[in-house]
Amino acid sequence: MKPHISGSQIKTILTCLTLFTMLWLSNLALAATHNIHLAAQTLPNGQHAYRMLSHTSSEGSTPTYPNEATIPGPTVFVKQGDVLNVTLTNNTQLKVGLTPGSIEVSPGDTRSFAYAADQVGVFPYYDKDSHMVGLFGALVVDNPNGAIDSFIDEIGNIVPTKRADLDKEIVMFMIGSTFWGAEMVNGNQIPLWTNPTLGAVKDDLVRFHILSLGPGHTWHLHAHRWPDRNSKEMIDVKMLKDGVDSHTFTIKAGSGVGTGYWQYHCHLFSHMEAGMAGKFHVVAAGESGASIAGASPSGHIFLNPFTDDPGLVTFEITDEPGRWFRSIRSDILSPITKTRSLEVIPPGGSVHFIMSETNAVHTITTLLWPSGANDPDHGDHRVIPFSQTKAYKGGAILKLDVPGLYVFTCRIHPYMFGAVIVDDPATEGLDLGESIDIVTGINGLPTSSDLATRLLRTFFVATVQENWQDYTSTKPWHPNYPSVAVRISGGAVVNLKDVLEARYGQDVKLASLFKPTTPGVGEVWINTQFEKTAGKTKPGTITVLDAATWTIKRKIALPQINMNHPHNMWSNREQSVVFQTQWFDDKLTFINREDGSLINNIQIGNTPSHVITIPTNDDITVAINGENGIRIIPAGTMTPQPMIMTQLPGQTAAGPHGHWVTADGKLVVTPNVITSDIGLYDTDSGEIVARTGSGGVFPAEPHPLAVGVGIDKVYTTNLLDHSMNVTGLDGTLIKTINLIADYDPVSPTGPDTVKDRDGDGLVTVGVLPIQTPVDPTGRVVVTANTGGSITIIDTQLDRVVAMLPCDPGCHGVNFGAKQGGGYYAYVTSKFSNQLIVVDVDLNNPANSSIAGRISMVADKSVPTDDKVVSLAGMGGQGIYAIPNIYNGWVQHLPDAWKAGLTAAQQNPVP
Amino acid sequence: MNHKACAELLVSVLQTSRHARQKEEIRYKPATWLTVCLFAILSAIFFFAGNVAAQGSVTGNFHRIEMYADKPYPQYEYLAYRMLRHEVTNPQGQTSDITSRYSTAAIIPGPTIIMDEGDVAEITLYNSIPNPDKIDLHENVSLHVHGVHYDIVSDGTLKYINLFQDEGATLVQSYTYRWNAAVGTAGTWPYHDHNMSTHNGAEDKGLFGALIVNPVAKTVAVNQNGSIQSVPLSSIKKDYVLYMMDDTFAGTVIDTQTGKQTPVWSNPALTAQAGSNVRFHLIALGTNFHQFRLPGYSWPDPITQTLIEEKAIGPLEKHVVAIQASTSTVYLDSTFAGIAQNMTGSFNVAP
Ligand SMILES: [Cu+2]
Ligand SMILES: [Cu+2]
Repeated sequence: MKPHISGSQIKTILTCLTLFTMLWLSNLALAATHNIHLAAQTLPNGQHAYRMLSHTSSEGSTPTYPNEATIPGPTVFVKQGDVLNVTLTNNTQLKVGLTPGSIEVSPGDTRSFAYAADQVGVFPYYDKDSHMVGLFGALVVDNPNGAIDSFIDEIGNIVPTKRADLDKEIVMFMIGSTFWGAEMVNGNQIPLWTNPTLGAVKDDLVRFHILSLGPGHTWHLHAHRWPDRNSKEMIDVKMLKDGVDSHTFTIKAGSGVGTGYWQYHCHLFSHMEAGMAGKFHVVAAGESGASIAGASPSGHIFLNPFTDDPGLVTFEITDEPGRWFRSIRSDILSPITKTRSLEVIPPGGSVHFIMSETNAVHTITTLLWPSGANDPDHGDHRVIPFSQTKAYKGGAILKLDVPGLYVFTCRIHPYMFGAVIVDDPATEGLDLGESIDIVTGINGLPTSSDLATRLLRTFFVATVQENWQDYTSTKPWHPNYPSVAVRISGGAVVNLKDVLEARYGQDVKLASLFKPTTPGVGEVWINTQFEKTAGKTKPGTITVLDAATWTIKRKIALPQINMNHPHNMWSNREQSVVFQTQWFDDKLTFINREDGSLINNIQIGNTPSHVITIPTNDDITVAINGENGIRIIPAGTMTPQPMIMTQLPGQTAAGPHGHWVTADGKLVVTPNVITSDIGLYDTDSGEIVARTGSGGVFPAEPHPLAVGVGIDKVYTTNLLDHSMNVTGLDGTLIKTINLIADYDPVSPTGPDTVKDRDGDGLVTVGVLPIQTPVDPTGRVVVTANTGGSITIIDTQLDRVVAMLPCDPGCHGVNFGAKQGGGYYAYVTSKFSNQLIVVDVDLNNPANSSIAGRISMVADKSVPTDDKVVSLAGMGGQGIYAIPNIYNGWVQHLPDAWKAGLTAAQQNPVP
Repeated sequence: MNHKACAELLVSVLQTSRHARQKEEIRYKPATWLTVCLFAILSAIFFFAGNVAAQGSVTGNFHRIEMYADKPYPQYEYLAYRMLRHEVTNPQGQTSDITSRYSTAAIIPGPTIIMDEGDVAEITLYNSIPNPDKIDLHENVSLHVHGVHYDIVSDGTLKYINLFQDEGATLVQSYTYRWNAAVGTAGTWPYHDHNMSTHNGAEDKGLFGALIVNPVAKTVAVNQNGSIQSVPLSSIKKDYVLYMMDDTFAGTVIDTQTGKQTPVWSNPALTAQAGSNVRFHLIALGTNFHQFRLPGYSWPDPITQTLIEEKAIGPLEKHVVAIQASTSTVYLDSTFAGIAQNMTGSFNVAP
């Protein structure tokens, strides 16, 4: 068919074409071309930032940019239709890119791209890898006619506005849980850094550009309101959703409300608690509306004393074992500090935390601080002690004024440590302070005390991978400590390395590995939670031990799902599917026991810690440690049902960790970490049966971490309280066992630091107790103590009857069957690579002994789904022995598994 | 305090009356000179308060409100606001007491305060939260409101934040806030504590409530039979105030005909008559983000003026869902955490 076009149609088409051409030309006339040259640089504190090298526009004038790299980077203002020729020079040591544009620039290189600003709005530009640590800035694309968002005046008129009417523009990035600001006044761009005091004169027209990258926020400014996206809907809070988001609005400063310091903050409660706030200072006409910058990565910190501007050090929160708090300049500091988790600032400096490399939720919590830092007469009492009620994504920021040692941890993962020394430059040596206060309520502990230096030693062992105990090495154990002068109690200046080596020894010979003479039954699955493999970025493997031969049968890393910190396991009745929690993630993984293959990986909730089945129906229960309940997965399915809530509606999220289920399947028992209590819940109704406060030795934050359930009693370890609560199944507190009764924490280390103080004829110490299961018969409790000991409790006496040596970070315990009768308790340590096998004497628990020491390092012949590259066998945590021989479970074993057990083992509580 | 101090205080009250009137001292030990001093100060405060009300800045009603911050259950950590008195004086000077509309108990969410654009409220807060371990006279509880106009003394924050003064009630001193629901502030807004225990306050323990400012136009956009209709505010039969806490909805139901407020607590079952217009006033509070859904219903989005079926709401954001009730359904938070925590309740529509 031939097209047929009539004359009138041609005329119409021509008219249209002419019109289009005219519109296009007029657009061209308005559009400008920008030549923008940015550089990426590294700031003195190790954060990275963009800097404007040059900006020319075909339109003429461009802003005056800061003469330095800033966070946020320079704000680029253009109009819709403009073309941007962007060049990026990478002056950092890492590969850096720019989104939009998707360019990648190697260190030292320069690359360019063109970008058409075709959409009105405010957009972040950023590096896709390093945006959480500073590589971001704002691109503002305005309407060519100059119109911007209307504001509402004091009598309720919504007033259309042009950019030319503005007195000031403010850019605020919400990153982690910190604001990063800049302002533009009369064509000058001024960096304002972190949580600045924004200034404006009453009735100034101020336009805010709020942007966020990463976990979301809600922006709130006190006493002001604005039309939401130019509509008639007035708001004063705006959500910036997870990922990339922005919001722009205009206000008339102090309109209807007057002058004053008006707070701006994120309204997520966890972020408020993390310090995500600043002030908007509206002054009277005639006064200066200048803003005041906050602490800066270029300000005064250790090794950068060349400025009086307040400085800021930054810890990245990571999933990297030991380096969970990693100073972003640790490459520079660690040769001095020997750890990547220690920073030094002058008084008045700030500490900033950013959860940039973790899949978990955390809190940023002061474990200890210099005595006096929380003095009510001191401004810091509003921030010290520092914590968040609930674990979340984000970070934290706080200013520290009182010299001395501050140690931060995470309440969910209480072996994550970061330390800050606030050092008065006028004194000799780094200031550890006269004494410290600990979150448990210990006040005024001298820094010369054994507990203070023991905690310091724990810090240098836990945070430094090289300081962990390698049982496959023939060399003695040689932890490195920093050889620096420190100032302690009484103003004494001592060498830290000398003190720690004198007190705790050096080059200690590690015990020899040996296999138990009597074999175990079945397999022992061990979470070697820190072991790193080639095929994934996150750490952790499962080490499967053949208990008959005491040889490693398999390593399971699951690179296809980047399995992250496998922490605790259980299995179904058939012993065919192993359930695995990923503690630094939100997943529960289903694994084929026979061949170690992946069955499924499901989202279960933030930071799942322990998993156990209900023996009577085989339903799976998972403790959602970062939240507030026990997630249930019906037997045979992989679909989570709603949780058994660990608290009443609206109450503080309990944060349950190492839970257990009673043999009759009726109760789930949880140690509630955040709320410091032991919870008993009805598995049928989900109702709270009882919640019993935990602790005993110190007044606060006992940190109950794990429970063991006996025949009619519950044993709960209080990590920070160094104690054990014994409760009945109705929640009644029967007894508190003080595990450090024989220890003197306060005096300097000496021959009497540990001795029989409680007069029971034994010297036993359980510092920082963790897992604490009761054997299947209910007679013995075996407890792993992080401080490096295993304590044995006889349940007939409910007191400690024996102590055995363990490694630093002693953590996991679980029971498995011993061939021919009886049980082994398998014990793991985080900062070593051996499994300790304890032969439990059920007739005389005091006679329990170490039956063997097995390396968790696999040789090349061991089948694996990934290649171990570092931290071989390290990070021992959860243990699960197959067959499951606990009372209530053992009765449901398939016959094939029962066959390997004695009659007594098949019915442990006759 | 001696006579001189009293005199100085009185002078400062008068000089900075606009600021100092916010504080009323109560419960001091009896001493003659102190009583005299107090009387003088209170007179000054009263005089000034009356002055403000008469200054002409009030074009609408004047609300005189007194509330308590309580710890209603000794065994639990919950804190809650309780209404003591609410009187409304219209521009003609007629006063009515509407206290009986409220629950006499401390409730979560707290009493819903309803004003019209142009109204002014003065709200006195008393602190009756026991403080057994440390009789700390500085322990402070406050009202920080969103949306409406107020000057810096009514911000309800601590001096640590406002660099002016601690703006809350202590065990020995009440605090009075002045909220101006000026034209342009219509909407549903949260109020909450900002001072208890820390400078972030104890909003997470239950110290929050809603303020509804009705627009001058007295109309509401509602989805009626699939299209957005502007209906008279008076056609709304029920208002459900639903706070979305991290783990639960917490609600109050308001019968708009009587004004009666009924606390319905956690994940309540809500009821409506088919064909009647009702509103859900949603405010999130805590740390979690939520996704509100009411399957089977859609409602006007105030920004886009289109009908929407779900709404993402972050902490302290507010959103009003105005619908005509037709079929029974459930309301829910459809996020992963919302489903895990069973954040849902029934919406039962009677034919
Ligand atoms: Cu936030
Ligand atoms: Cu953590």
